Amino acid sequence: MSVYESRYERLPRAELEQFQLERLQALVARLRRNVRRSREKLGDLRLETLADLERLPFTTPEELAESFPYGMFAFPLREVIRLVSTPGPDGNPLVIGHTRNDLAQWSRLVARQLAAAGVTAHDVIQIALGGSVHPGTTGYALGAELLEASVMVEDPLHIDYQVAVLQNYRPTVLITTPSNALELMRTLQTRRLDPQSLHLRTIVLSRPVPSEERDRLNAGLFARIYCNFGLGEILDPGLTVECEAGKLHVNEDQFLAEICEGELVVTTLGREALPLLRYRTRVRGELSREKCSCGRTGALLAPGPRLDRRYRVREVVFYSQQIESVLARTRAAGQRFHVEPNADRLVLAVEISENIFAKAATYASDPKRELESELLARLGVPAEVRFVEPQVPKSPEA
Amino acid sequence: MLLQVRNLRCGYGSLEVVRGASLHVCAGEIVGLLGANGAGKSSLLKAIVGLVSPWAGDVLIDGRQTRGQPAWRSLGYSTVLVPEGKMIFADMTVRENLLIGGYHNPDRALTLEIVLDRFPLLRERLRQPGGTLSGGEQQMLALGRALMARAKLLLLDEPSMGLAPLMVKAVFAEIVKMRDLGLTILLVEQNAMATLQVADRAYVMETGEIILEGPASDLIHNPEVKRAYLGKGAQEPLP
Repeated sequence: MSVYESRYERLPRAELEQFQLERLQALVARLRRNVRRSREKLGDLRLETLADLERLPFTTPEELAESFPYGMFAFPLREVIRLVSTPGPDGNPLVIGHTRNDLAQWSRLVARQLAAAGVTAHDVIQIALGGSVHPGTTGYALGAELLEASVMVEDPLHIDYQVAVLQNYRPTVLITTPSNALELMRTLQTRRLDPQSLHLRTIVLSRPVPSEERDRLNAGLFARIYCNFGLGEILDPGLTVECEAGKLHVNEDQFLAEICEGELVVTTLGREALPLLRYRTRVRGELSREKCSCGRTGALLAPGPRLDRRYRVREVVFYSQQIESVLARTRAAGQRFHVEPNADRLVLAVEISENIFAKAATYASDPKRELESELLARLGVPAEVRFVEPQVPKSPEA
Repeated sequence: MLLQVRNLRCGYGSLEVVRGASLHVCAGEIVGLLGANGAGKSSLLKAIVGLVSPWAGDVLIDGRQTRGQPAWRSLGYSTVLVPEGKMIFADMTVRENLLIGGYHNPDRALTLEIVLDRFPLLRERLRQPGGTLSGGEQQMLALGRALMARAKLLLLDEPSMGLAPLMVKAVFAEIVKMRDLGLTILLVEQNAMATLQVADRAYVMETGEIILEGPASDLIHNPEVKRAYLGKGAQEPLP
């Protein structure tokens, strides 16, 4: 497996810190000049060493949402050539802008990840991330093209077509979501199709999976599994590189990662359009600087669960506030609810109230079905609603 | 890293001109330092070699701390500054100018031959007073004089200033050749486009601070580079 930008991926610690200090000082100077909100927060604070980072203010997802859509851009919109959206904490999307250089940088960072997974110019890559709107599609296509691989953005709506794509186009690398990969594995097993008859050599999953699931996919699809860990607001993919030893290295020449009260906090060092200073990712994480056998020097990240009420069902991401606003359109408006963990459908336990059934006579459908169809229409995920006795604790931790 | 500057601050009187700048140059690189007039680029160069006393920060050349050392010691660190306006000795001949550059070089006779092979034009003018050379020739002489010291790190301050476009091209071509010979170059320039075409990386300075760093190929497309040159008035309204 190769190292795409060995110069940066294997920077000795002292040199890496020099890079980080330079870029951080330049970032603070740019933010102070170009972003009003940052200027107010930073005042005339000076950054002399990397240790001074902890004196700098945080940026929260809520601030990004408040400045929707372009309030925190550090470049004029005319220079922003790509806009991608990612779910925001209030249910509205956050807009992430990229300048020409941001895209160039993004492609290099993704190329690092793909090269680590063994991708070369000889590979045919299928990108199937479940919906062409997945922002990762852009990033993977850019990175794969930089490696001069043959890229195919093909997102089959039905698993039959996915199998046909694998048989006909003979991709050697599949970039997909864990749920797609699992479905593919089950389909091959049910149809008694030999995964070795396909040409698939490597699968890059859009997010980390537990090691048992990785082993299962590895055996079931007869391909080497690599996982990505990214964050829509920062960069996804491109924040980390998973090496052949299965460790996630932060691209520390471009991102400064810290752990504050257990939460992963990331500063984008090189991004132009939307630079983020000490962004609270709302993801639990652990960082270590152990030496890795792959030779990369970027800190090792072990991402944990989310710290906010964000859910993922069939790769669709949504926040608790979005469920509240769907409920508000129905008879269950204002009711407390609880999301039960399930990867295939949204299982929602809603507290029952007299109001729901008092009005039942005036509605054609029953409240359960009404709510389920509203959730499907608004969130795009199949839902199963259960009415439960009151006292369901509100605000459960995700 | 051949040159490492961390958080360097310097100024004149009570006026702070460089306000905490950090940069580095790796061996064999050409690194550009760009910015408008008065951004603090030349002061930063002078502070690196000790012509201006830094107020704070670190300057490491080959890993050795050199901050606070007098300028004449910089040769001991194989570092030579080619100052703005060439600063050649106008009344001395080209040969004398070159030999002065190699004052500490025990093999200066041999080095002189190598330098004259590099700059055949200087060989033709060897006995001519430096002040009678054209602007471009004087710049070549200044570069030749720096080579005489057998420096590893060259700090070039505005080598294209006041030169005709054709001469600018020739000077930049020389700079690339010097890098190919194994020298490491920190190039301070106002001619951003020409610099970004020859540099590996570059920094952009504005009012005493470094506001951008990156591969030269990326910075060519960066609107901040343009803005840094045109000054604040050129700033477009942000959304």
